[in-house]
Amino acid sequence: MKNIIEVKKLTKMYKNLKAVDNLSFEVKEGEILGLLGPNGSGKSTTMNCMLSLLEFKEGTITIFGKEMKPNAYDIKKEIGVVFQDVALFEELTVYDNMDYFCGLYIKDKRTRKQYIEDAIKLVGLEDFKKFYPKQLSGGLLRRLNIACGIAHKPKIVFLDEPTVAVDPQSRNNILDGIEKLRENGATIIYTTHYMEEVEILCDRVIILDKGIIIAEGTPDELKELANMEEKVSVYIEKLEEKHIEEIKKLKNVSEVTYHNSNLIVIYNKGKNNLISLTKYLEKERISYDKIYSERPTLNDVFLELTGKELRD
Amino acid sequence: MTVFKAYLKVLNKNKWMVILYTVILIFFAGFNMKTSDTRGFVTEKPDILIVNEDENIGITKHFINYIKENSNIKEIKEDENARNDALFYRDVNYIIYIPKNFRIDFLEGKNPEIKVKSTGDYMAFLSEMLVERYFKIANIYKSIETNEEKLEMLIENTLQKETEVEMTSKLDTDTLTKAAYFYNFANYSILAGSVFVICFIISSFKEEKVRKRTIVSSHNYRKYNRELLLSNSLFAFTLWLFYVLLSFILVGKAMLTSHGIVMILNSFVFSFTSLTLAFFIGNLISNKEAISGIVNVIALGSSFLCGAFVPMEFLPDFVITISHILPSYYYISNNEMVKTLEIISLESLQPFFINIGMMLLFSLLFIVLTNIVTKRKSS
Ligand SMILES: Nc1ncnc2c1ncn2[C@@H]1O[C@H](COP(=O)(O)OP(=O)(O)OP(=O)(O)O)[C@@H](O)[C@H]1O
Ligand SMILES: [Mg+2]
Repeated sequence: MKNIIEVKKLTKMYKNLKAVDNLSFEVKEGEILGLLGPNGSGKSTTMNCMLSLLEFKEGTITIFGKEMKPNAYDIKKEIGVVFQDVALFEELTVYDNMDYFCGLYIKDKRTRKQYIEDAIKLVGLEDFKKFYPKQLSGGLLRRLNIACGIAHKPKIVFLDEPTVAVDPQSRNNILDGIEKLRENGATIIYTTHYMEEVEILCDRVIILDKGIIIAEGTPDELKELANMEEKVSVYIEKLEEKHIEEIKKLKNVSEVTYHNSNLIVIYNKGKNNLISLTKYLEKERISYDKIYSERPTLNDVFLELTGKELRD
Repeated sequence: MTVFKAYLKVLNKNKWMVILYTVILIFFAGFNMKTSDTRGFVTEKPDILIVNEDENIGITKHFINYIKENSNIKEIKEDENARNDALFYRDVNYIIYIPKNFRIDFLEGKNPEIKVKSTGDYMAFLSEMLVERYFKIANIYKSIETNEEKLEMLIENTLQKETEVEMTSKLDTDTLTKAAYFYNFANYSILAGSVFVICFIISSFKEEKVRKRTIVSSHNYRKYNRELLLSNSLFAFTLWLFYVLLSFILVGKAMLTSHGIVMILNSFVFSFTSLTLAFFIGNLISNKEAISGIVNVIALGSSFLCGAFVPMEFLPDFVITISHILPSYYYISNNEMVKTLEIISLESLQPFFINIGMMLLFSLLFIVLTNIVTKRKSS
């Protein structure tokens, strides 16, 4: 896959504060790239620099192989942006808001009308076309905010924490919508500090902290990188000492405890750990119940890498 | 078109405010027009000081009497500094210096020069007209009549006839007073209407997040600003045109006379100044809730201070002094002046144009301030 965006040695200062520090990365065509980081880590700043909304001291940003500049309107035409905060006209209806923002890109009336209908359907606002923003719930408002940003069918979509403070139903709707955008061929840069979203949505993740990339890779790669352990617990009515000793000798096992009919096996790395355990139990004809594995999450990865929680 | 279309939709949301300001205008201006004429028409006389170094006899005396009849003669102590002070403080509008031997020189055809000092305002202009008229006639008869007493008689008769002619063609002060009422009151509606609507629209379009969204779009941002500016100007122009039409309905055909047209011109310039003021305030504030408060302070405040509701002559002096720092003062002064102006000419309109110049200076100031504010905000 070819690179659609390239960021090289980007540094952005706010007076004396280095918000982004010598950042380099690229975005590949068709992928969903997650920008992950705690509050104030420089996610929005990075995004705003990529959009030429902020001037920066050092570094280059190229999109479609061309330098991104404030007046690069041919590049901007292919970009859709959904900002962290809802940006709408209170005086315009849902439809008119979309007509305005889409109209900034699409001049042809009929095409625009079709695109708006598509976007309204994508975020599920069909029943609210004539509503004014203040009549919408927070979740619906977010959906409208997204629809306004992507109605012109851009090739690249920037989303800055689109699911913050959104009810679960709207959230699922938004995540589905993003999946659909990708299916339609869009490249997506997705900023968030929700781990679960990144795990199910993103092809690749960049973890930022204090304006620096501290890790980069697929969600699985990142977990491996962190060298995290996996914890499997099983309920076994009765277990003999010899079995415990044998389980200790299984592949990757680092620690085994058995207490109150609860067996806990800790693995230091590796895949298919759960399966190898169940196979052993079945072979020895030991009956078991309630087996589950706690795999490390990106949150654990983050904790491991920085020593702090992603979310406050 | 995208911007203009959205502009109209946002404007539509504000139509009730504009209608409200207009209804207030019709109601109060209309009400005042009906009760306007208790004061009748008073021709105002200039305050003139005559410094006579000649003997007070013959043609000199005749000239002085003529001036006395047509003005309020002031007595100031015999000191040039005191006279200058009197001019400066507008205690007199005009000083006429009659030189030594004026009478003899005049009768001998030497065309002696009469020196004057003037405040340069409309009253001074009237004084000048008095002097000019006298000598225009006197010079004509002097060439055919050498007897001083007969000459005085001839001048006297002609002056009287001219006044009669003038009286018959006397302008319709009644209607002009109505027009002035309307346009004075329009000070409130024009200011309130344009500041309210334009502030509201600017705060919608330039709201930080909406602005960001516009900047990242592929719509040229400069063009976008231009479209917004044009739409706002178009609105202000339409509002003005609407009020002019309203004045035709309420005042009538008098608006088509030269007096009426001068008032319309005055209101046009004032609308422009209001537009620039609205831009300045719209870019300064970012809070929609604050708009109506600000509009009240500006529109009501300046209307009261500058005599849109209560004629200036009833206002205390210090209020009038303060009101000089407001563009409304110059707008309303112009309406009041045009109302009493007997002759419309480039010369008689000089003070009018000075006031127009003041309004334009205010506009310039507001434009500069707007630029400073927008530069500050974008950096
Ligand atoms: N306009 C600004 N002026 C000064 N400092 C700023 C400005 N905007 C952001 N910062 C600072 O730059 C750093 C990065 O901020 P940024 O908004 O990019 O973080 P973020 O990762 O998007 O955080 P969040 O998750 O809260 O949105 C923070 O320390 C922030 O305080
Ligand atoms: Mg942010």
